[in-house]
Amino acid sequence: MEQIKIRNFSIIAHIDHGKSTLADRILELTQAISEREKKEQLLDDMDIERERGITIKLNAVQLKYKDYVLNLIDTPGHVDFTYEVSRSLAACEGAILLVDAAQGVEAQTLANVYLALDHNLTIIPVINKIDLPNANVEKVKQELITLLGFKEEEILLTSAKTGEGVEKLIEAIIERIPAPNGKINNELQALIFDSIFDPYRGVIVLVRVVNGQIKVGDRIKMMATNATYEVEEVGVYTPKELKKQELVTGEVGFITASIKSISDIKIGDTITHEECSAKVSLPGYKQMKPMVFCGLYPIETSKYIDLREALVKLKLNDASFQYEPETSKALGFGFRCGFLGLLHMEIIQERIEREYNIDLIATSPNVIYDVTLTDGSEILIDSPSKLPDRQKIANIKEPYIRTNILVPNEYIGPIMELCQSKRGNYLNMEYLGSNRVNIHYEIPLSEIVYDFFDKLKSYTKGYASFDYDLIGYKENDLVKMDILINGELVDALSTIVHRDFAYQRGRAVVEKLKELIPRQQFEVPIQAAISNKVIARADLSALRKNVLAKCYGGDVSRKKKLLEKQKEGKKRMKRIGSVEIPQEAFLSVLSLDE
Amino acid sequence: MKAVYIHIPFCTNICSYCDFCKVYYDEQLVDRYLTWLAKEIDLNYKNELIETIYIGGGTPTSLTIDQLKELFIIINKFNLTNNIEFTIECNPENTTIEKLTMFKNNRVNRLSIGVQTFNEKYLRLLNRNHNNKQVIELINDARDLGFNNINVDLIYGIPNQTFDELKEDIDQLLSLNVPHISTYSFILEEHTKLYIDKYENIDPELEYRMYEYIRNTFKKRQYVHYEISNFAKENYESKHNLNYWHNNHYYGFGLGAHGYIDNIRYENTRSINKYCNGQFLYKMDVLSLEDKMEYETILGLRKIKGVNKKTFKQKYKKDIYDVFDIVPLIDRHDIIDDNEYIYIPIEKLYISNDILINFIK
Repeated sequence: MEQIKIRNFSIIAHIDHGKSTLADRILELTQAISEREKKEQLLDDMDIERERGITIKLNAVQLKYKDYVLNLIDTPGHVDFTYEVSRSLAACEGAILLVDAAQGVEAQTLANVYLALDHNLTIIPVINKIDLPNANVEKVKQELITLLGFKEEEILLTSAKTGEGVEKLIEAIIERIPAPNGKINNELQALIFDSIFDPYRGVIVLVRVVNGQIKVGDRIKMMATNATYEVEEVGVYTPKELKKQELVTGEVGFITASIKSISDIKIGDTITHEECSAKVSLPGYKQMKPMVFCGLYPIETSKYIDLREALVKLKLNDASFQYEPETSKALGFGFRCGFLGLLHMEIIQERIEREYNIDLIATSPNVIYDVTLTDGSEILIDSPSKLPDRQKIANIKEPYIRTNILVPNEYIGPIMELCQSKRGNYLNMEYLGSNRVNIHYEIPLSEIVYDFFDKLKSYTKGYASFDYDLIGYKENDLVKMDILINGELVDALSTIVHRDFAYQRGRAVVEKLKELIPRQQFEVPIQAAISNKVIARADLSALRKNVLAKCYGGDVSRKKKLLEKQKEGKKRMKRIGSVEIPQEAFLSVLSLDE
Repeated sequence: MKAVYIHIPFCTNICSYCDFCKVYYDEQLVDRYLTWLAKEIDLNYKNELIETIYIGGGTPTSLTIDQLKELFIIINKFNLTNNIEFTIECNPENTTIEKLTMFKNNRVNRLSIGVQTFNEKYLRLLNRNHNNKQVIELINDARDLGFNNINVDLIYGIPNQTFDELKEDIDQLLSLNVPHISTYSFILEEHTKLYIDKYENIDPELEYRMYEYIRNTFKKRQYVHYEISNFAKENYESKHNLNYWHNNHYYGFGLGAHGYIDNIRYENTRSINKYCNGQFLYKMDVLSLEDKMEYETILGLRKIKGVNKKTFKQKYKKDIYDVFDIVPLIDRHDIIDDNEYIYIPIEKLYISNDILINFIK
């Protein structure tokens, strides 16, 4: 393989701006796949990805165009996976910036463009969906020019749907994006940018060879974990798997080495040879840390073992996901799980329910708190129930983020109102072109974890786009708020809240629970309390009527059906003390009307 | 014991709360319907001895004298026992002396009168076309003709109904001194006019108070509360309805009728066109032993007396305690065992579904 004929690139785009469709067109034009093999969108291979229209796992495809080899490296399009995006970008020399002609530039796109610029990538700006009746090419062009400093003549126009302009784009990739510049005679440095677990072959590691070459039979070493292996297979995806003898400088492909433990393979780590190792790792490696935690419990306690197996399997494919056993007085045996963000959490929960068929109770998500004790020691708390006694705490710090909220001017007021209500501190605001702004606030991550996304959508009729960076920890007056149902503390419902907002949130939580918990045979008080002091209370009145009074003309099967339906509903409830609590109640704080 | 239910789906007037199987009265359609009803019965009836017949609707009394004559010709094919209980539902709006006389001459011995309420405001809301005078006349005429087994249907908990209004209804009802009363709590069913007009159920607390009041008042007047919604003077319990709650067999003939024969529960079509084309059956369900035991219990527990343990064992060759997990229910006071019967305590009848789901797979 001639190094000067290689082009490695990604596509940066907001959800729904047409990335997968464009990828398909490029694949078609380079005849990587026959019509028959083509599924609707090729790169996204998990059901959930398809349904949600987002790419969770990365993929890399090798394409041939004329005598060039193009490696298209897919990137996830969500803030939870920023680090993974940065690693795939690090595997490229260029990126296509794809913007919807009707929507314009979005916050997420902007964040990824900045990431790409950080990696000195050549960026090709492309306005897509020009065939749409509401396309506004001129406006989007102006945004690209004023916002990101592109020149008008650099901007390409495509319709991935019709194929218009795609061939020109491929030519531009070859012309504008530089060939890889590594040295084949240097020590091996290969960047790990993704991994997939295969039950038969172990971990499949996706790499970009930056310097040197890697062959079947080589003894290799992971520089961060020091794990060593012998390479068994190397190859590329076209997108079908194509085995090769070696991958050389500039190439993108996969290797396998009977790697049983995915924890040996860290995204961003550098692979080198065991002998003649590289002196230094490639820059940019970070240990990924979960930021959002929640408890996951099987509704049927007998499914605990099944749940554990599901988590083990999911973890095989997802190094950033964490779990450890946890016991809740209310919910029994389960796991405290850590995720990169809310979306990551939802995806994992959905996969457990869908692929492993286990009905789950998920507790409200929380962030990780940095607690300084009175004796000066510091502990990290990933669950409200682990918070030590008030007397032992000197202070509590919580993670903060800095927002990028892109909205049309007319929503500045509502956005400020929302951020203020989420304990935000205003930082500044940038004007993007004539009618959009980027609003920066610093807000506690815990507030984002609640209902920020939903609120943002409803406050701005869906016009806002949102992204954030973590900016560190800040001390706040935080307290644990407990929930008592029928006098019994339900540990799984405890949350950590700001003292000044506790009363309001307590009120909202008990009202919400009153709505969600069906009436029982007796009256049930629902209380919110801080250090045993009740701050809010709502009473769920007793069930008065649950009877089918009339059975018409011997239609008794209708009665049985009704009972079966009620029984089904009961199965999705957890009995705590003498009260039946539905699954959704444990997530009630996520949808409060405060 | 064999019972027969016959459905007459025709109404001259559609009540605003009704989601039963009914169509507007049309003279020719009724004639056609009766022809097909006769065929359905011919095809399925195995000439067993019949102990109860119930003609329900719809509005059976919306039929003309000639049509009723036709109906009784069909019914005469049944082999009836001497002490048959033969009920027909009567609407005060159109049950004339002539029709009553015909009923009497055709062995009808029980009338079920759809009164629903005595309050004119609610009669209008429910879109009932009769008045109180018609009710009283009907009952007097019936008694004059020798009908003494009379049931009156009453609905309580009608949208906006107050406790005092319910009391007035009960007073009026008691003054009629009929031996059987069915009181149904109002149910807002989808696809009814009241539902579409966005009426709402009354407060469940109020409804529960009404139910308590009804129970206590009737008890004082020597009505025996024998099933969730049914009250009767001694020996006036409805055999036909008890047959359902005993989980015994019955034929269901006519549009949308339900039946239970041998191991099969079946349901007829609700489409008048299909029915009048000979496509009677909508679906059938073959019951397993488990299904039958479930039905036995959930239906049996509608009765105040409950489920007879010995009968259960005779019918299914199993001890009810081995089939269902009853002990925790007894601990929670959801079920009482008096050695002979298991039953739901009277104060929990109104939430009986909450208890019955424990008897469902």
